[in-house]
Amino acid sequence: MQMSLKKFFIFFLPALIFGALLYYGVFWNIYIALTNYSLLHPVPEFTGLYSFMVLFNDYEFQMAFERTMLWVAVLVVLGNIMGLLIATAIFQLESPRLRNALTAFFVYPMSLSMIVVGIMWRWIFDPYKGIDVILKGLGIGSIDWLTGYNAFWSLSLVSVWVYAGFSAMLYLAAFYNVDRSIIESAMVDGADTFTIMTRIVIPNSRQGLLISTIFLALFAIQMFALPYAVLFLNPFTETMVMYVYNKFVSQYFFLASAAAIIIIVVSAFIVIPYAMYGLKKWIVRR
Amino acid sequence: MRWNLVYSIVVIVVLGIIWIFPVYSLILGSIKSLSEVMNTPIYVPPKQVDLTTIAEVANELKIPLANTAIVVIPVAVLSTIFGMLAAYAIIRRQSKISDTLMLLVAIATYTPYQALLVPFVQIVRSFGLYNTLPGIALGFLIYYTPMAALLMVIFMSVIPRDLIEAAVVDGAGEFSIFRRVVLPVLGPGIVSTLIFILIVSWNNFFIPLILTRGYNKFITLKIFSYVGQSGTFYNRMFAAALVGSLPPLIIFIFLGRYFMKGLMALGTGTKA
Repeated sequence: MQMSLKKFFIFFLPALIFGALLYYGVFWNIYIALTNYSLLHPVPEFTGLYSFMVLFNDYEFQMAFERTMLWVAVLVVLGNIMGLLIATAIFQLESPRLRNALTAFFVYPMSLSMIVVGIMWRWIFDPYKGIDVILKGLGIGSIDWLTGYNAFWSLSLVSVWVYAGFSAMLYLAAFYNVDRSIIESAMVDGADTFTIMTRIVIPNSRQGLLISTIFLALFAIQMFALPYAVLFLNPFTETMVMYVYNKFVSQYFFLASAAAIIIIVVSAFIVIPYAMYGLKKWIVRR
Repeated sequence: MRWNLVYSIVVIVVLGIIWIFPVYSLILGSIKSLSEVMNTPIYVPPKQVDLTTIAEVANELKIPLANTAIVVIPVAVLSTIFGMLAAYAIIRRQSKISDTLMLLVAIATYTPYQALLVPFVQIVRSFGLYNTLPGIALGFLIYYTPMAALLMVIFMSVIPRDLIEAAVVDGAGEFSIFRRVVLPVLGPGIVSTLIFILIVSWNNFFIPLILTRGYNKFITLKIFSYVGQSGTFYNRMFAAALVGSLPPLIIFIFLGRYFMKGLMALGTGTKA
């Protein structure tokens, strides 16, 4: 027997209020993006797609968009590689307790604020107090980690450090789900661990790859606090979210909203198929 | 020794060093004396432990730490309760409306809140809460309540339907089914949601940044303020970062499995 519709809404009401505010925000963004609302036009007038024309012709936005997409690429590729590397290493260990402890250890950067992560790495990249001192000592010479374009690459590597453990966790979950009987029959056939990993376990963990890719992409699209903490509003590391923030601070609200719409559209492309897939699973389950 | 164990140990040790190095430097850097800060790289251990900087900074962080706790604890508790109620409603009613609401909750959870900057500020201003602690809490609740609802649906979906059906047949009302049947088996799910939201909201920088002025209303803003004012005295920055991260870090060390469960649920959409 189901709950009555009236009771349903009583239980759902608190979440509905906050959820409604969130969706109100999304629609308000769309509305502002169709106006010329800014410091110069404090009373918004409807201007259609004018804001998007300005946005797409803005060199600063073009750079921020490109850089964010590049960030997505770096984090997805390297995050998956590192995640797979860590997961396969942990998977070889016998003790479940040791496995869980090591997984948690590699996930720990996610329990820190990106501001803290930024401060730590800003000093590791410091030419006089950071790892350059070690590199110079080894005769490799120093690397200008945070100068010009290098800053983007250095910080995207830091983001890999933050999220690779999460990716490893997803891969491990997929590994544990691989049918033990397939592995055991391969072992009976005399297959070694390398063959079992590369032929059976990893190919059967496509779900890990899929989910890890979706989330790494989402994390990269949302990048803000890390570059902001390390280099403030440096043009070489300006992401899309930083562009939105910049335009908000300088009171070009219609540009901030238009850029926000682009962020929402890009993430929707990634998220909606995943949410539909999840929804199907939850509906079947109950 | 088998090759796969050798591989495994090499990877774990090499990456382990890279993973621990930043926090290792953070701790050493915050207990160094001024002269050593000027003369040594961040990773060189201090000859003598000097706790004056950390004590000084901890004193400066008292107010932001208290403010953060005042915001974050109610946010975690409230969003968990609201999420739990909403999840129960979704579990107990199968219809187009509940499916649609479920999909909207899921999309809201994964929508980048950073993109809602302009409306968030406007909403909080229209309630007259700009630059206040309840304003930050409102910003968090708008975003974390749908997330809590999604997590709770995932944790509740494994409760056997027969258990609930039996109570319905006995003529129990919805609130009493919720209290007597669902709540007792939901303990770990509740703790996971609570801990997860506690940690992610404590670490949030963006929402307090856009909803307040100055640095004292939230810990991450305060930590950030040391970046500008400390120049080359990395010990002050490190001490602030260390003291400010202790609450989430301690929770992670002791209750990390719950945080991981929350992450896993959001990732795979199932209770691992």
